[in-house]
Amino acid sequence: MMQISRLSRTDWFGPLLAILIAVTLIQSFSSTFLSAFNIQILLLAIAVNALVAYSQMIIIAIGQMNLSVGAIGGLAAISFAGAMEVWGLPAPLAAIFALVVGTVCGMVNGILIRITGISAFVITLATLSIYKGINLGITEAQPFYGIPDSVKAFGSALLIGPIPWLVVPTLMTTLALWVMLRRLPIGRFILAVGSNDHAAALSGISVGVTVVAAHAISGLLAAMAGVLIVARLQIGQPSIGDDWLILSFAAPVIGGAVLAGGHVSTMATLLGVVIVAIITQALVLFSIDPFLVQVVLGAMILAAVGLNRLRSRQPLKGGIQNG
Amino acid sequence: MRKSFKTIALAGICGVAAVAAQAADDSQIAMVPGGPHPYFAAWEQAGADAARDFGLAAADYRVPQRWELSQQNQLLESLLSQGYNGFMIFPGDPVGAVSTAEELSENGAQVIAGAGCFKDPSPAAFCLGTDTGNSAYLGTKQLLAAMGDGEKRIAHFTGFLVDPNTQLRIDAVQKAADEAGATVVQVIADIDAPEPAEEKINAYLAAHAGEVDGIITTAWVPAVVAANALRKMGDSGIHMVGIDHDEVVLAAIKDGTIDGTMIQNPYGQGYIGAFALDKLRSGCTIKADAPFGANALTNKFIDSGTSFVDASNVDGYIDAMRAETDRILADFEATYLTCS
Amino acid sequence: MSVKDLSPPSGLTLSAYGAGLSRSRFFLSNEFGLILLIAVFVLVFALTARGFLSPFNLFSLGRNAAVNIMIGLSMMTVIVTGGLNLAVGAIGVSVAMACGWMIEVLGLPWPIAILGGLALGAALGFINGWTVVRTGLHSFIITLATMSIFFGVMIFLTRAEAFRELPDVFSAFGKMKIATYFSPLLLVTLACALALTWLYRFTVTGREMLAAGASPAAAELSGIRVGRVIVLCHMLSGVLAGVAALMLVTRNGAAIPSMAGQLGQDWLLPAFLGPVLGGTLLAGGKVSVLGTVLGAFLVTLLSSGLLMLQVGAFWVQTFLGLMLLTAVLLDKARRSYLARRNLA
Repeated sequence: MMQISRLSRTDWFGPLLAILIAVTLIQSFSSTFLSAFNIQILLLAIAVNALVAYSQMIIIAIGQMNLSVGAIGGLAAISFAGAMEVWGLPAPLAAIFALVVGTVCGMVNGILIRITGISAFVITLATLSIYKGINLGITEAQPFYGIPDSVKAFGSALLIGPIPWLVVPTLMTTLALWVMLRRLPIGRFILAVGSNDHAAALSGISVGVTVVAAHAISGLLAAMAGVLIVARLQIGQPSIGDDWLILSFAAPVIGGAVLAGGHVSTMATLLGVVIVAIITQALVLFSIDPFLVQVVLGAMILAAVGLNRLRSRQPLKGGIQNG
Repeated sequence: MRKSFKTIALAGICGVAAVAAQAADDSQIAMVPGGPHPYFAAWEQAGADAARDFGLAAADYRVPQRWELSQQNQLLESLLSQGYNGFMIFPGDPVGAVSTAEELSENGAQVIAGAGCFKDPSPAAFCLGTDTGNSAYLGTKQLLAAMGDGEKRIAHFTGFLVDPNTQLRIDAVQKAADEAGATVVQVIADIDAPEPAEEKINAYLAAHAGEVDGIITTAWVPAVVAANALRKMGDSGIHMVGIDHDEVVLAAIKDGTIDGTMIQNPYGQGYIGAFALDKLRSGCTIKADAPFGANALTNKFIDSGTSFVDASNVDGYIDAMRAETDRILADFEATYLTCS
Repeated sequence: MSVKDLSPPSGLTLSAYGAGLSRSRFFLSNEFGLILLIAVFVLVFALTARGFLSPFNLFSLGRNAAVNIMIGLSMMTVIVTGGLNLAVGAIGVSVAMACGWMIEVLGLPWPIAILGGLALGAALGFINGWTVVRTGLHSFIITLATMSIFFGVMIFLTRAEAFRELPDVFSAFGKMKIATYFSPLLLVTLACALALTWLYRFTVTGREMLAAGASPAAAELSGIRVGRVIVLCHMLSGVLAGVAALMLVTRNGAAIPSMAGQLGQDWLLPAFLGPVLGGTLLAGGKVSVLGTVLGAFLVTLLSSGLLMLQVGAFWVQTFLGLMLLTAVLLDKARRSYLARRNLA
C-alpha cells in the first residue's frame, strides 16, 4: 500500500498507468493497433514530438515560457535543408549548422530576457515573429526539395523490427536530459532558479547564465526536432513548427510539470508525448472525427494542469512545495 | 536561385519592353495563387515567358504568405495600389474572394480566375482551369479499371476545404464510384500541406490499410505523401492514381508503386492567362456567345486540359502538355474574344 | 517581470499632477511617440512606395486597421487585469461561424444572428474567466487549452465548411466607402474604442478592473470582488473578439473557419502588438485605449507599406517582431527614465 502511494506521487506513474490502460483497451477493440506499421507510425511521430516537448520543458523548468519553439524549429529545418540544397553541404555538416542556428536563436532569447528584464512571454512572442519572418524571408514560402537520399533514408528506414532509426537521436536526448536534470550541476541550477530565483541567487547560482543556458538548450532541442522532421517529411518545408505551440505545452504538463517552475520530469514528459500520440492514433482508428483531436488535446491540458495543482497542494515528504 | 531567375526574367522583360509592339504596353499582370503551393511554381515561368513573348510590362507571380484569405486580400489590395492592372487569381475561397475581385474590377483592373473558379456571379471574365470534376472522375475510373474485379473500396485524399475545386472533386469521385458499384470508404480533406498530409495519411493507412483497395488523390501534396507511404508499406495490394507531376509521383509510376496520375496544365494556364489579360486590356471583349464550358461554380469555364499518364507515356508528358497549350492558344482569340 | 506603474490608473496617460509637468509628460508619453512614428512611416512610404497615398490604398489600410485595432482591444481588456487571452482568435471564429449558422441554417434575420453570435462570444469569455477564477491557474494555460477546445468544437460542428450564402448586406458593408477614404468598419472600431475609454475612466466597473489588475490582494481587501471583475473582463474580451471576426466576415462576404488561422493563432501577434506598443502593461493595472488604437494602426501601416515595397513582401513578419522588441525596450527605457526624473 505504501509502495503504491509512494509510486503515485511520482510524475511518471499516472501517465504510465494511463498508457497501459489505453493500449489494452484499444487493442481489445481493434487488432491493428499493435501492428508493425502502426507502431512504426507512432514511433515516428513520438520521435519528433518528444523533442518539441523537451524544448518547452526546459523553459518551464526555469519558470518561464517559450513561444518561439516552433519558429526556431522551422528556421532550423530550412537551414538544414537549405544548406544541403543551396550550399551543397553534406548532411552531417548541414545538421550541425542547423543545430547551431537553433542554439543561437535560443541564446538570443535568453540574453534578451536577462538583459531587459521583460517577461519571457513578450520576448519570445517578438522573437517568434522575427525567426518565422527570417524563415519566410529566405524561403519565400517555397520549400527546399533537394534532400539527399541518405537523409530521406534515415527518416524512414527501420532499425529493428518496427522501430525506425529516427527514434535513436530522441532516445539519446532523453537519456542526456534525464542525466542533466538529475546529476549535472547545470540541471540542478535550472531547477533551483525555477523554483525560487532569489534563493538560487543568494546561494551563489548565477541566475543569468542559467537562464541563457536553459534557453540555449531549448533552442538546440527545437532545432533537433526541426532536423528530424525534415528527414521524416523529406522536404524542407517553411511551415514546420507552425502548430507546435499546443503540443509543446501539452506533453510536459501531462507529465506533471509545474508552470511556476522548479519541477519537471523528463520521463513523465516522454510518457505524455506517448499518450498524446496514442490518443491521436486511436481517434483515427475508430474513425472518430479527426477534428476532435484539438478538443481532446485542450481538455487533456486542462485536466493535467488541474491534477498537478491538486497534487501539489498535498504535502510531499521531502518534496518542493509549489503553489 | 529563384531570385536570380526573377532578376534575369525582369531584365529580359525590361529589355524587350522597349521594343514591344502592339501589346498594350502598360499591361502589368499579377498572377496570385491562394497561398504557397508547388502547383503554381509553373506560373512563375509561364508569366516570365508570356511577358517576353507578348511584350508585357510585367507578368509577375506573387504569392500570399499563407493559405489564408485575408493574406490574399491584402496582397491583392497592395498589388492594385502598386499599379497592377490585370489579375489572374486562384480564389482563396470561391465566395469569400469575390468581394476583393469586385474591388479590383471597380478600380479598372481586368480579372480572370486561374486553376480554380470564383462562384458566379463574379467579375472574372472567365475561369481558365482544369475541369477538376472531370479530371477526378476520369482518374477514379482509371483507378477502378486498375483494381480489376473484386471488392472495390476507395479512399480519397484531397486538398484544402477553401479550395474551390475540392468539393467538385469529392462529388466527382463519389459519382464515379457509384456508377461502378464501388464504395468511397473515407474522404480526408484539408491535407494539401506536408505535415498534416504525412500525419493523417500515415495514421489512416496504419489503422485501416486492410480495409482499402484503392486510393485516389486529387491534390498535389497528398499524392506525393500517399505514393511514399505505399512504397514504405511494400506490397500492400493497394492501387493508386495520383495527380500532377511531382517527381516522386512520376518515379512511383515508373517503378510500379502507383498506377498513374492525372496531369494538369499549370504552365498553360499561366501563359494563356497572361495573354488573355493583355488582350482584354487592349480593348478586346468576351464574345457573348463564346463556347464556354460550365462547372458547379461558374458558367464561363475554359478547360486547360487534363490527361491520364501511366507507365506507358510517363516520359513524354511535358510535350503533351505543351501541345495542349499551343492548341488552346492558337484559336483562343478567334473563339473567345472580339477584338476591334 | 515588468515594473508596476506607480501612477494612478487612468484611461489616458495624462498626468494627474501639475500642468507644467503634464506637458512634458505628454511629449514623453507613449502615445505621442506612436503618433510621431506613424507620421514618419507615412512619409517614408509615401516617398518610396508607388501608390501608397492612392485613395484605394488608404481605404483598404483603414479597413484592415479597423480589424487589427478590434483584435488589439479584445486582448487589451484581459491584459488590464494582468491576464492573457490566447483564445481571441478561436472565440472570434466561433462567433463568426455561429452567426453564419444562425443565418443559413436557422434562417434568423441577420441583426438577431449578430446579437446571438456576440452573446456566444460573451459566453465563451465567461467560460475562460470562470475557469481562471475557480482554478486559480494562470490564464495563459487556461486560454491555451480553451483555444484548442473552442476551435476544435467549432471545426467539428461546422465540418470545416464555410458559410457562403450570407445576405448581401454583409459584403456591401465591407465594401462601402465614406468620403472615398473611410470604411464604416473604422466607425465601428472608433465607437468601441470610445466606449472602452469611457468604461475605464468614468465607470466604477472600469476602475475596479484597473484596481484588480494593479494589485488583486489590495483590491480584494478594499471590497472589490476580484473574481467577478476578472470574469467580466474575459466576457468583454470575447465580445470584442466576436466584433472583430464579424468585421472580417463583412470584408469577405463569407464566414470561413480558417479566417484566423489554425486554432485562431494568427490573431495572437496583432492582438499583443496593439496593446503592448500602446503602453498597456502586461502586469495589469494600467491601460491605454488610445495607445492600443495607435499601436495597432502603426502595425497595419507598417505591414501595408512593407508589402508595397517590392522588397518587403516576405519580410513583414520579421519587421513586426523587431518592432515589438524595440517597442518594449523603448517603453522600459522611457519608464525608467521617467521614474528617475520623478525621484530627482
